[in-house]
Order: sequence, then C-alpha cells, then structure tokens
Amino acid sequence: MHIMEGFLPWQWCIVWWLVAVPFIVLGIIELRSMMRKDREYLPLLGVCGAFIFILSALKLPSVTGSSSHPTGTGLSTICFGVFITSVIGAIVLLFQALLLAHGGISTLGANMVSMAIGGPLAGYAIYRLLKNTSVNIYITVFTVTAVADLITYVITSFQLALAYPAQIGGVMTSFAAFFAIFAVTQIPLAIVEGCVLALVFKYIVQIKPEIIEKLNVFSHEQIAKARMTEGSVASSEVRS
Amino acid sequence: MIQNRKLELITVVAVLGFVIVFLAVNATGSHGFNGSDEVGSQKVAELTGHPVDSFTPLIPQWIPPSAEIESTLFAIQTAIGGVILGFVFGYWFGQKKQTSSR
Repeated sequence: MHIMEGFLPWQWCIVWWLVAVPFIVLGIIELRSMMRKDREYLPLLGVCGAFIFILSALKLPSVTGSSSHPTGTGLSTICFGVFITSVIGAIVLLFQALLLAHGGISTLGANMVSMAIGGPLAGYAIYRLLKNTSVNIYITVFTVTAVADLITYVITSFQLALAYPAQIGGVMTSFAAFFAIFAVTQIPLAIVEGCVLALVFKYIVQIKPEIIEKLNVFSHEQIAKARMTEGSVASSEVRS
Repeated sequence: MIQNRKLELITVVAVLGFVIVFLAVNATGSHGFNGSDEVGSQKVAELTGHPVDSFTPLIPQWIPPSAEIESTLFAIQTAIGGVILGFVFGYWFGQKKQTSSR
C-alpha cells in the first residue's frame, strides 16, 4: 500500500504529513502516560507491535496476479486504540522507508494516514459498534482486523486518485482504477489476516485474560463466556 | 476435556483456500506477482503520461542494492517481530504456570 517516493506531488505530501502529525503526537503522549501508570501493559504492546512488524513484511500473492502485504494493525487498535497504533505503524513505515525503499520520507505522511491512522480509525469504529453487543468477541476481532486492512488500501487508492485525477471522469475514475489494483488484491489477504489475528486474540484471552479485562477491551462477562465456549477454563482446571 | 478448536480449523481452511487460489491463479495465464506498490506506480505513470522513470524521489533515498539484500532486511523485520512474540508468550505462559501450581 506504500506510495513510492516521488510518486506524490509535494503539495499532497505536505497535506498528508499535516494530517498525520497530530495523531502521532497524541499517540506518543498517550503511550508515555500509559507506561508511567502501569508497566504491565508493555508485553501486550510488544505483541501488538510484533504483529504489525511481521504481517507488514509479508508480501503475499493474490487473485489479481500481484502481491501485497497485510497491515496487522487490527489487534493493536482493539487493545490500545487508534493513537498508540499510529505510533507503532509509523515506526514500521519509517523502517521500510529508510531501509527498504518501500515508501519514502516525503510520502511517509500519506502512508501513515492510510496504514497507521485511517485503517485503525475504521477498525475502531467497527469495534465500538460491536463491543457491547452479543456478537462473539472473536468475530469482532476478525471484522475489525479485516476492515482495518482493507480500508488502508481504499485510502491509498483515494490518495492517489486525488493527486492524479483521470483526464476523463476525474477523481472517481482514477479512484476506480487504483481501487482495482490495491483494494481488490487485498480482499483475500484481509480475510486471512482477520482469521490469524482472531486466533492470536484467542490465545491472549486464554493465557492472559486479566490484561484484556483491565484494559477494558471487552467486559468480564464477554471474556468469561468466550473462555467457557472455547473450553479452556475446564481444561486448565483439569491440568492443574 | 477436548478443547474447542473451531477457530484453528477456520484459520487453517482460510490459509489453505488462499494457497489454492494462488496456485489456481498462477496456473492460468502469466502473472508477475509484482508488488501492488509497483503496479500502482505504473498506473500513475499511465494516468499522467509520464514514464515511471521520470518520477524521481523528492527526498533522496537509499535503495537496497539487490533483491537479496532487500529480502535480508525484510527477514530481519519479521525476525524482530517473531522474537518479541515468542518472548512475551513465553513470559505469560510461565506466569500462568506459576500461579496455577501454587
């Protein structure tokens, strides 16, 4: 989903940088106050960050005959919200811009807005919508992750379309063209990513449910219910 | 008691489905499986009428000299994530074992 260095006019580079900076600043502030309050969250933050690192490095082939990578931002969005996710996403994007020439410094603003901010924002909206319903928590995680992944690429398409409107048909025509390249490639990837991160979330709930509860990601009842249906409570009692 | 493995099963099916789709797409027609970043850049070139090479970096950029070196750097990126993941889950697992054995 990276917009490559040089492929965005400088005016747009500045616009997207300006949009991105407040999120990153707020994220750093939130991160610092959380760390000062309780170091207990650090391991979970590590897990969420690790998945963004791993998944965004995997270029997977897709139905359209091109390859793309998942974003991995869904888990972090659910556990820590949009701002902290923005910071982690920005670190990954900076790593790739400096060392791999995937995206660049001038387009980093735009890439942060799509992967580190826009995707997580959309995912967070879904999370809030589903949080207090009877929907299974793993289905919530799946949906949030898949949506965050997919919307990232929709935003990239939109950013390119705004910068390069087609001569006939304008922004919407080129949006359709970029959408066909980025977003369609992404659909199967988003589904697989959703499944994998839902599974990871299940393991976190099994091993460390208290941290999910403490962060108020899901209520005590929801976690207890998920643990019951997954049979992990009974089996761990048998083991001990 | 046998644990409920529904989610594991769904994930395996999804991954297998993904692989099968890849094999099917790969078998029919010639696809480069280029990165969508690159395909997107080509589209930009097509829309503007300027060749891809005419887009020069606004800010000078270090480019990995070969695909091998690039793959190393990507491997390092995933390794960093993998190490953290293993460490934390091990730490949690140990914590859990300790509290339940007490």
